Amino acid sequence: MLNAAPVRAGQRSLIRAALFSLLTLALLLASGCSNNPYPPEDARRNILYRALIDDPKRLDPSVSYTVDEGEVLSLICNSYFQYHYLKQSPLTLELGIGAVVPTQHPSPAWVMEGGKRVARTGVLWSFRLKPGLLFQDDPCFPGGRGREVVAADVIYSFKRMADPKVPCPVLPYFLDKVVGLQEYNDYQRQRAKKGLPADYSYPVEGLQLDPADKYTFRILLNQPYPQLRYLMAMYFTAPIPREAIHYYGADFRRHPVGCGPFVLAEWTPKLRLVLKRNPNFRTEYYPSAGDSGDRKAGLLADAGKRLPLADGIVYTILKEGVTGWNLFLEGYMDAWSVPKESFRQVVSRQGTLTPQMAANGIRMDRSRDPNVYFYAFNMKDPTVGGYTPEKRKLRQAISMAMDVRTYIDLFHSGLGQPAQFVIPPGIFGFDKAYRNPYRQFNLARARQLLAEAGYPNGIDAKTGERLSISYDNTATDPSERQTMLWVMQQFRRLGIRLVPRVCRYEELQDRIQKGQFQLVLYGWLADYPDPENFVFLLYGRNDRTVNAAAYDNPEYNRLFEQMRAMDDGPERLSIIRKMRAIEVEDCPVAFSDHGEGLGLHYMWVTNEKLHPVALDGDKYRGIDAERRARLREAWNQPHYGPLLALAAFLVCGSIPAVFTVRNRKSRHLRRRS
Amino acid sequence: MLRYITRRVLYAVPILLGVCLATFLLFYVVVSPTQLARRNLSSRHPTQQEIQDWLQQHGYDRPLAVQFRDHMLHLALFQFGSSDANGEPIGRKLRNGAGPSLELAAPMFVAEVWTAIFLALVLAYYRGTYLDLWGLIVCVVGMSIPGLVYIISGQYYFGKILRLFPFAGYGHGLHSWKFVAMPLLIGVISGIWGSVRFYRTAMLEEINQDYVRTARAKGVPESRILFIHVLKNAATPILTSVVLGIPFLMLGNLLLESFFGIPGLGSMTVDAINGSDFALVRATVYLGAVLYIIGAILTDISYALADPRVRFE
Repeated sequence: MLNAAPVRAGQRSLIRAALFSLLTLALLLASGCSNNPYPPEDARRNILYRALIDDPKRLDPSVSYTVDEGEVLSLICNSYFQYHYLKQSPLTLELGIGAVVPTQHPSPAWVMEGGKRVARTGVLWSFRLKPGLLFQDDPCFPGGRGREVVAADVIYSFKRMADPKVPCPVLPYFLDKVVGLQEYNDYQRQRAKKGLPADYSYPVEGLQLDPADKYTFRILLNQPYPQLRYLMAMYFTAPIPREAIHYYGADFRRHPVGCGPFVLAEWTPKLRLVLKRNPNFRTEYYPSAGDSGDRKAGLLADAGKRLPLADGIVYTILKEGVTGWNLFLEGYMDAWSVPKESFRQVVSRQGTLTPQMAANGIRMDRSRDPNVYFYAFNMKDPTVGGYTPEKRKLRQAISMAMDVRTYIDLFHSGLGQPAQFVIPPGIFGFDKAYRNPYRQFNLARARQLLAEAGYPNGIDAKTGERLSISYDNTATDPSERQTMLWVMQQFRRLGIRLVPRVCRYEELQDRIQKGQFQLVLYGWLADYPDPENFVFLLYGRNDRTVNAAAYDNPEYNRLFEQMRAMDDGPERLSIIRKMRAIEVEDCPVAFSDHGEGLGLHYMWVTNEKLHPVALDGDKYRGIDAERRARLREAWNQPHYGPLLALAAFLVCGSIPAVFTVRNRKSRHLRRRS
Repeated sequence: MLRYITRRVLYAVPILLGVCLATFLLFYVVVSPTQLARRNLSSRHPTQQEIQDWLQQHGYDRPLAVQFRDHMLHLALFQFGSSDANGEPIGRKLRNGAGPSLELAAPMFVAEVWTAIFLALVLAYYRGTYLDLWGLIVCVVGMSIPGLVYIISGQYYFGKILRLFPFAGYGHGLHSWKFVAMPLLIGVISGIWGSVRFYRTAMLEEINQDYVRTARAKGVPESRILFIHVLKNAATPILTSVVLGIPFLMLGNLLLESFFGIPGLGSMTVDAINGSDFALVRATVYLGAVLYIIGAILTDISYALADPRVRFE
């Protein structure tokens, strides 16, 4: 018995340590107590909770180009025009910060040709801003108070776009059209090479201020370009205060300063962006008219209310889709897209929301983004390119062998529609009834065309070898690899060997640019809702950055130049149809689909109507914050039971071991004594 | 000791140069400067002129040797330059990321060491019983499960089923604790099993030593033998694994930070690799190499402090 005390002392020490560990664990668990990721005091505030799938690289209105960046910037920086939120059939422009619909007059202009100025009759657009608009309050302004927005701020943003140090993705739309902008760009590039800062005082003849009116500015174009009105609705053309550029320098990309409905209040990289209502925002009201059916859908209930309806927006940066989906189900995200992996949990076989989701107050919206996907043939390739009847038939055969309907059902759960031509639904020129003869899945006809092309059953009649085509793609993840296998299967049915060449996206771009490919999948999402923004994908004078196939048909080019400056109407439609007929016969691309998406939101979000082009929808959306808080609380009560059971199991399970050791020691001691 | 440290620091110079050269060349093999420009320009279809302008602005149009020389000179002075992806100063990014990383990694490190030693002591104390046997089985099973499984199932169980913690995110000040608690718990649960087995073995080896028998013969309490004598003598192998882990506190935990949306250095490094942010990758690799070398030197010093038999000569 003499040594029994130390044994018990050892056990006591262990028990003390165990208790300490358990206490720490309990404190750790208790510290959570809730899965609410937001501060409790915000629970009943009029805030929209959104997600971004990636941290924005920048929020610079001259540079940003991703949808995520655009959604945030469109709420901070407003432009001359904006899209009507409710009138979407057809898409309608309305004045944003502009006071009047711009006028257009013929005016003397010039272009540089062979190093010389050649006179042209251009078009002078006159714009006038609404007087009294204010920039947001910001430390870049004297006293931190936002100053008035004037025409010089819009001209400044144009000059900034043409600064080579500011990689503006839409500059090519302006560079060859605004008189003198190319020369300005060249001048700034020369300065940059010498290590000199950009000189924005260098005049651009096509960007004019009115000395008599600080709100008026004019843009002189060397050619008719009606699409300018759409570009004036993009945040790229929003006014930028030069004070902000001087104050923040390169850091401006993290401090956007504008005159929109919200201001950037917080940006914690990789974590969150917070927008709050801009007190300087102009007086703007929720629309009182919309498309037919909007009133019935309750979208006009807030008509006449001052915008924005929400006090702020919290964007959580969520790279992991599963995390975002779970946060949405817990009520901590107001909206989310339908995840592929949970598709059947959300969407019934009839294409409606499942009763379980509907019972939780979730609503579904269909988004029809103006986009097109196609497989582009390299028209300069000796095998798949060229304009001879045989080469056309080869491409037509491949196009006919691709069962796109099955592809849409397999990979996009039936969402989307096979593309018959480059123009997607919702854009002028789209013909719902049209069926591209080489787009209809018909294997027998495809095999016949292939034989006529000189490849019966996929065998080259001249050499006796199987036709082999390379397919450059970026299939690095499982779902992309499945798509690639599907494409290979389509070619296999024709007896053609498709050789996949997998690479990173940037490398693929390089190969396209250099024409080192035979077949690639290419996609395009509209910058603006005009058919010109789609048919130009096959315009011969565009380089491969836009015209990946390097398709160059003189008649198609001529018709494109004819229609690009036209207003929508029967004449333009007739030209588009002629272009379509040419393209369909040449078949430089095998059309795939026009993609669609499904959006989900909770019933506490009001006025939800997805817009195909505009990104500023959140200024129209409202929140029933009280209802949201109540439901969130009810749905997210913590459970401690399983943890307590586990702790009890561990404690109870350890007790026999304690006694075993105790008995063993005692036995040893007794034997020794 | 000073001579020893000086010698080790001098050894570090060629190691650092080698690490940086390997990273530099490897990146160029994997991603060409043109692809780097395409990745980091906002336009999906940049023109050749835009690519050229970007390369010039970021200095990628210079000869490779010049780039590497400048790169090493700047790194040696801890001037990391700015990110290729968004132009943000890398020094600022590292400072901003170090806080959240430390907030997760430091308590996780302490908790891991404490829990692993505690469990190893328990198993050593109850050696030969069913508790020891089942403890070892649990350790082997625990080691065999990949970290990602712990993260996904832990997130699901603690966040979705028990609703104790937010799924992901991060807050500042006290608000941050509830975001850090779940990754910390999962990190500890997923990371201790190998250590528990290793420490238990180290302790059992010591338990059979002569000095333990002597201590028992002198009537030293078992708790004192285990917690003072055995633990101290088993410290050398434990220290090796523990001290080498300290530098990684700064670099963060790649997987945990990425999954739980903690804006630390770990998730930043993952994003930099995925986003071809060469400048940021170079900086983090260099920093990692420096910290690893410091850790190795600290380990050697700690040997001498823990075990007087170890000398620097």
